[in-house]
Amino acid sequence: MASSCSQALRHHVCKSSRILRVHLQKAWPNRSFVLNSAADQQPAVSSPVEEIVIPKKKTWSKEAVLQALASTVNRDPTASDYRFQDDPYLTPKTSSEFKLFSLSQESGRNAAKYFISTYPKYFQKDYAQPHIPCLMPETLEAQIEEVSEAALIERIQMRKVKAAVDLYDQLQQAGTPVSLDVTNQLLDLICFYGDCDPAQENVPEQRNEETEDVQDEPQTKKGRASKASDKLKAAWKENNNAERIFALLSEPNTHSYSALIRGMVKYGAYSKAFSTYTDLLNNQLKADVSTFNALITAAPEVKEKYNEKWELIVDLLKQMAEQKVKPNLLTLNAVLKALRRCGTVGKSQAFPVISEMRALSIDPSLASYNHLLSIFYKPGAPFQGQTDILQEVMNEVSGKSFTPQDPDDAQFFITAVRICLDTKDIEQAYRVHELLGVGENWRLLGNDFQQNIYHARFFSLLCMMENIDVVLKWYRDLVPSVYYPSSNVMRDLLQVLDTDNRLDLIPQIWKDLKQLGHGNRQTLVEELLTLMAREKQNQEVQETFAECALDIKKMYDTGDRGKVMMSWTAGSLSDLVSVLLAAQRRQDAWEILKLFKTHNRVPSEELLDKFLTCIKESGDVNQALELVQISAGFCLPGTPKLIQRVQQEFLLSEQQKSMLSDLEIQTFNSD
Amino acid sequence: MYRRLLINIYQVRNGLIHTQNTRLPSTKCKERESFAPVIWAPCTARPLGTSSISFSENKENSTSLSEDKEKRPEENEAKEEVNTDGQKSTEISNATLTLQLETEPVDKPEDSKQVEKTKSGKESLLELLGAMKVEVTTVRKIRPSKTPRMSERPDQEPMESTHSMFQHATAKGSQQQGTLNPALVAAVSAAASTLPNRHQAESELLKQLRKHEAVPDTQRRADGQNIGHIIADMKVGGRKTNGRSSARPTSQIRFDDDGKGYTQDRGITGELDAVRRRKSPFTSKRLNIFTAGMEQDTLSVLGPTLWDIDLANQIVQATNQAPRNGFEEMIQWTKEGKLWQYPINNEAGLEEEASVPFHEHVFLEKHLDESFPRQGPVRHFMELVITGLAKNHHLTVQQKKEHIDWFRDYFRQKDDVLKEAEA
Repeated sequence: MASSCSQALRHHVCKSSRILRVHLQKAWPNRSFVLNSAADQQPAVSSPVEEIVIPKKKTWSKEAVLQALASTVNRDPTASDYRFQDDPYLTPKTSSEFKLFSLSQESGRNAAKYFISTYPKYFQKDYAQPHIPCLMPETLEAQIEEVSEAALIERIQMRKVKAAVDLYDQLQQAGTPVSLDVTNQLLDLICFYGDCDPAQENVPEQRNEETEDVQDEPQTKKGRASKASDKLKAAWKENNNAERIFALLSEPNTHSYSALIRGMVKYGAYSKAFSTYTDLLNNQLKADVSTFNALITAAPEVKEKYNEKWELIVDLLKQMAEQKVKPNLLTLNAVLKALRRCGTVGKSQAFPVISEMRALSIDPSLASYNHLLSIFYKPGAPFQGQTDILQEVMNEVSGKSFTPQDPDDAQFFITAVRICLDTKDIEQAYRVHELLGVGENWRLLGNDFQQNIYHARFFSLLCMMENIDVVLKWYRDLVPSVYYPSSNVMRDLLQVLDTDNRLDLIPQIWKDLKQLGHGNRQTLVEELLTLMAREKQNQEVQETFAECALDIKKMYDTGDRGKVMMSWTAGSLSDLVSVLLAAQRRQDAWEILKLFKTHNRVPSEELLDKFLTCIKESGDVNQALELVQISAGFCLPGTPKLIQRVQQEFLLSEQQKSMLSDLEIQTFNSD
Repeated sequence: MYRRLLINIYQVRNGLIHTQNTRLPSTKCKERESFAPVIWAPCTARPLGTSSISFSENKENSTSLSEDKEKRPEENEAKEEVNTDGQKSTEISNATLTLQLETEPVDKPEDSKQVEKTKSGKESLLELLGAMKVEVTTVRKIRPSKTPRMSERPDQEPMESTHSMFQHATAKGSQQQGTLNPALVAAVSAAASTLPNRHQAESELLKQLRKHEAVPDTQRRADGQNIGHIIADMKVGGRKTNGRSSARPTSQIRFDDDGKGYTQDRGITGELDAVRRRKSPFTSKRLNIFTAGMEQDTLSVLGPTLWDIDLANQIVQATNQAPRNGFEEMIQWTKEGKLWQYPINNEAGLEEEASVPFHEHVFLEKHLDESFPRQGPVRHFMELVITGLAKNHHLTVQQKKEHIDWFRDYFRQKDDVLKEAEA
């Protein structure tokens, strides 16, 4: 009885433990068995039942259904970007086409908007029912003509700096009081645009595209370049309208100071910003968080030494605490960004800063991690003992979905993958790439240009570290749906093919190369030819090589419209000949051999020797003689040897014999 | 509690040690040697559990010891069966484990009694320990093969490797003394190829491996000899054994007879675990400038300023906003207001009328005030009009009112005509 009882008990336990394990395995699929049994014990003692709370009502956003539907669509590695799917003719095949098409779409939109806004009288008919405000022309001209506060507000809203300042002066002269709020808004406007009228709404977008072009240089240069252009564009002028209007205020409040300080920092008047801040303190006022953020950004500019910079930042943070100003994420990012310029102090203080902000329940965004990585990994500096910082960061961010909160968020992926490339850390690179797939993180990869940099770095690293199968898997996944590799990256790929001895894939790669617009990159094509010519492959592969080689020849002959023509070199021609010879295409090879003469190139002796061997196999005496003649024509030192070989190896008629001896004498004389 | 029970068991076993295969205790102490209490618990708990079950059953039956003796062989056989089953499905062996676990709390007060009993019934214990041995070996054989290679926690990996080490110890020990496992050599050359001067690196690595091969072999033999001492040490507690495990330099490549341990050590998980075990810099000390629960002085918030708008704009510019598929484009259009929102309930598009109750739509008589005649054809007509309006769902209440107002004006204008017709 007892044994049956224990059997029943065992059965029961068996069942419950199975259920438990199913749950546990869901939670940690990668656990090993040993942990499994250990983990089973704890719930067996006290099994916590998670309570499921069913909400009474769930309010859906208006995009909820669409979001659910969108999440069902995966990326198709064989299709181009969604933007180009409307018109198959406009499917980009090269990176330049990609850029051109995407920009043209954007500029088309801008042009339409420009016309609608410039000639609103032609676009008054409102077809849409219900009304769609964003499709209607914007009013670009001020509607209120009279001198009043309402008119000032209107001008501020339309961001007309000059007009607003003029109106404010008129109001002052007329003795009409302007409320502090409106004045502050005016100050915001002036400071934001640095006392200049902003460019027209559609013009800045064009300029953005120009700057994108400028960004083609490496990332590190970009920051400085844009900063420099900002300074060139507008600097904070002494006694400009903002300062003048500020001076007119009888009782400036925090907002007024904030506007002034932020404007000064934005336009490079850093020390002035600090004196204004002192002024604010003297007036018994408190600064707001954005003022502090601006001042922290300016801190590295006003001090020389690393520790002085850091002391200033700490001082500012302490004042924040004193004035009971709660820092925000931008504060954290500003501090970290400032620490990037504090050298070794940055390395020691970065983590305490993050812990401090964590304690205030401010979670770092990707921009914070980006600054952190930049602090520890300076481009061009050696990387001993720092690899684990990237690991730490990846441990922190892995599997999290981030929302854009800071303009610098978009730099994270590029920085992370750069570090992976520099430290040759493929594992971390995979983690970075995995992170990119989580939630909406792909948005944080940034614009097309940044995406290209990211993928180029990632793929170069793959080429460096992985074997050919893995590389090709990624290659098929990324190219050309999201990434159009540059010729350098394609050369890396060729090197991988070479090291892993998969040269048989070269014809495929050549097709891709042609499609990607690298068919006329001389160095690349020559490398391709060298690789094909270097070793003897099996017959089938040689056939495809020969086809590919002839295709390459066509590329040399015609050249793409409007593209750089490639010129034959002796090396490329002889490679081509040897590829064709290896595939037993003597006739084609003969044609190429003639090209040596037309392009004034000299074939090597080995090549002619090889050719002669090939001719001998078919026993074509005439061609052999012609070959000798060609060789003699180039005055090659190896000609006598060739003549000798022909004399020995071929059955010659009398006439041919005499011809050969004539040639022999000629070459002898010329020597 | 485990520890206490364990000590008891070892006390008991110490007396019997000479009858036992020396290998078994040596495995035991190896396990204890390397790992934290949490992990050794399941292994040591099993034999304990086995004994505890039998003891709890003893109690239930409340039979004499002699009866027990008769019963026990059967039980042990049953256990054995379970364990051989366990080879096929680990679930069952796990189940027994849980079963044992459940019985353990019951055991606790019996601890002392248990020891006494075991001492008196040496014979039965012998059988019991025999059963344990079976269990240990079978489970060991399953485990390494079933275990997923990836490990989440740092502690498991060495655990596993020691398992496999002893699993193969007798089988392979002698044959591998001179040569290295070919798989291992391959792994070494692969690793060496990533280094700048591969030949030197390879030979160094191999040399290192051979050295390690020699070490565990001698160690093992020494363990076998010193087993009595080690078990004696066991009674003292885990302190000393911990010292032993740390004596093994972590930087050395761990060598396993089956060659598995090496490959498992490679890869990022190992390194990561090492990092995780260390203190993460993200949990470092803070600056202590701010206080956590700080209340902010509320400033007058005037809605988004130009700066806020610009920040949002910059973020949008910096991120990739291009839609990836048609649905995302529709989301974008919905946000811009270009697309009628996808209906998510029956009130889609009713923003304007959302606050208007239905009776405003249906009962329109109140609008037929004294400006209309009380009776007659005009009244009749207007009643028809409001009936029609009440059923019209295309018009808003405001439009319906305007409709009625239009008729009011119309009839007022035609007043003289109506009067003439005596309507």
